[in-house]
Amino acid sequence: MITLLVILIILMGFMGVPLFAMILAATILGFYTAEVDYTIIAAELYRLAGTPMLIALPLFAFVGYILSESNTSERLLRLTRVFFGWMPTGLAIVSLVICAVFTAFTGASGITIVALGALLLPALIKDGYEERFSLGLVTTSGSLGLLLPPSIPLILYGIIVQQMNLGQKFTLPELFMAGLLPATLMIVMLALWAAWKSRGIKLEKTPFSVKEATAAVKEAAWELPLPLFIGVGIFGGFLAISEVAAATALYITIVEVFIYKEIKLKALQKVAIDSMKMVGGILLILGVSLAFTNYLVDAEIPMHLFEWIKGNVDSKFTFLILLNIFLLVLGAILDIFSALVIIVPLIVPIAINYGIHPIHLGVIFLANMQIGYFTPPVGMNLFIASYRFNKSITELYRATIPFMLILMLAVLIITYVPWLSLWFMG
Amino acid sequence: MSFNGLKKFYQLLLKTEAGLLVALLSLMVTIAVIQVVMRNFMGAGLIWAESLLRITVLWLALLGAMVASRNNEHIAIDVLVNKLPDSIRYWVMRLNCIITASICFFIAWYSLKFVIDEYQYGGIAFGYIPHWLCEAIIPFSLFIIAVRYLVSAFLIKTPENLN
Repeated sequence: MITLLVILIILMGFMGVPLFAMILAATILGFYTAEVDYTIIAAELYRLAGTPMLIALPLFAFVGYILSESNTSERLLRLTRVFFGWMPTGLAIVSLVICAVFTAFTGASGITIVALGALLLPALIKDGYEERFSLGLVTTSGSLGLLLPPSIPLILYGIIVQQMNLGQKFTLPELFMAGLLPATLMIVMLALWAAWKSRGIKLEKTPFSVKEATAAVKEAAWELPLPLFIGVGIFGGFLAISEVAAATALYITIVEVFIYKEIKLKALQKVAIDSMKMVGGILLILGVSLAFTNYLVDAEIPMHLFEWIKGNVDSKFTFLILLNIFLLVLGAILDIFSALVIIVPLIVPIAINYGIHPIHLGVIFLANMQIGYFTPPVGMNLFIASYRFNKSITELYRATIPFMLILMLAVLIITYVPWLSLWFMG
Repeated sequence: MSFNGLKKFYQLLLKTEAGLLVALLSLMVTIAVIQVVMRNFMGAGLIWAESLLRITVLWLALLGAMVASRNNEHIAIDVLVNKLPDSIRYWVMRLNCIITASICFFIAWYSLKFVIDEYQYGGIAFGYIPHWLCEAIIPFSLFIIAVRYLVSAFLIKTPENLN
């Protein structure tokens, strides 16, 4: 009977019942079998108000929405083009870097492809890059910055793991630090591929000009201090992450609304509501899965799962390979936030038992999810790019496959060289 | 009340919901920034600010979730259901809405019980604000979400009939 209900609930999920409702149903069933009072579910939801780190999440989400509503992407392109455009395959490198930075702020919501991709694709083709290559590059870059601060998925991973009261503690700045080298590795590998791919093609270059450089810097002057402020704020140790987030939110609102005047006050309301709609969707799932995780831990399900896996997988090496395959598939089916909230509580205890540091696991997890964004057949960014650039989905499959293979190689390196994520831990 | 009056009343509710959301977000930014300035430059701080901010997160999240349920915008795995032929798909979507509404009604009821328990127990969250008042948004938002899903079961909003 119980098994039947479990199957029914999973089926419901695949038939399109909202995930928060599906998790709630699973929690109700769990509490019923364990004979726990259902009012506890509300108490667990109230834990959303008990996590100081969560304050940063709506604030950074708001910042991301504001940046994507204004012309920041154009200024960013102009600026990076002056400084990197003269290099060999300069524009390809420019695309990778600015997409990564933009995605870190806007959290791979597809906005990178919509806002930046639309600027970059014609520019790349005009400079002489192959069309298919350019299409692949732009689509792949749409999820490139997930491992860079202040990416929302990274913050969410930190919050979920801290909720679990594990032996190994870490702070958010440590998690942010961990993502830096792996993200750089991915950008470098993709840049090398771009250089290899465009060898023999005569590419247009944008020569460096002092005049254009001053103009570009002047134009972006108000937004330029932002990455620096966030970097110093997070890693400097004077401010809490939530304080950095609040100051950033206030600053960027003033800049975009009153200085650049690109967002009208009326539109600002809509930006606020849209961003909170997204935050509400994510946090509701987080809240209900706090209750569900509580049940899982009480029922010792991660422990049983670990014993079962341990019985079949004896080495850390094999476990990591299986983990990567599992996460790749997961990333293609589930959106990143649901995947984080549902799967992280299950696999973190198991990974720790195999001697994997939770910070390293977080980097592996997000690196896989990043690829999941453009994994056929259902990666979200494939559809967004197909819609935005008016190309068929099969064309995008073909265009992104080389990039996918390169990033899979990067994920393997990240997985088997923990130093890349943990070098600063001593 | 006439249909028009009812419509106006509903519009007012939507505006209140959105206005509250914007007000809370502004409050959050303001309080957090004041707190940064006071803590770093004056060596002081508002004692209740931290609690207020944490509770604002809960309220923002649940109000946001309420707004997201206006048009059935909650995260769901819809790849499979989108592949179904229209005639079946609408029935599946209706069923999904009814299931979601029932679950939310159920949890809203038990959350209400939780809030009443907390009211009787007392307990202060910060300042003069009791815990139960901060928690009251939980049954309220779940109830609204449930109603919205129940309504959309009958008025399924599909791209076709939205246009």
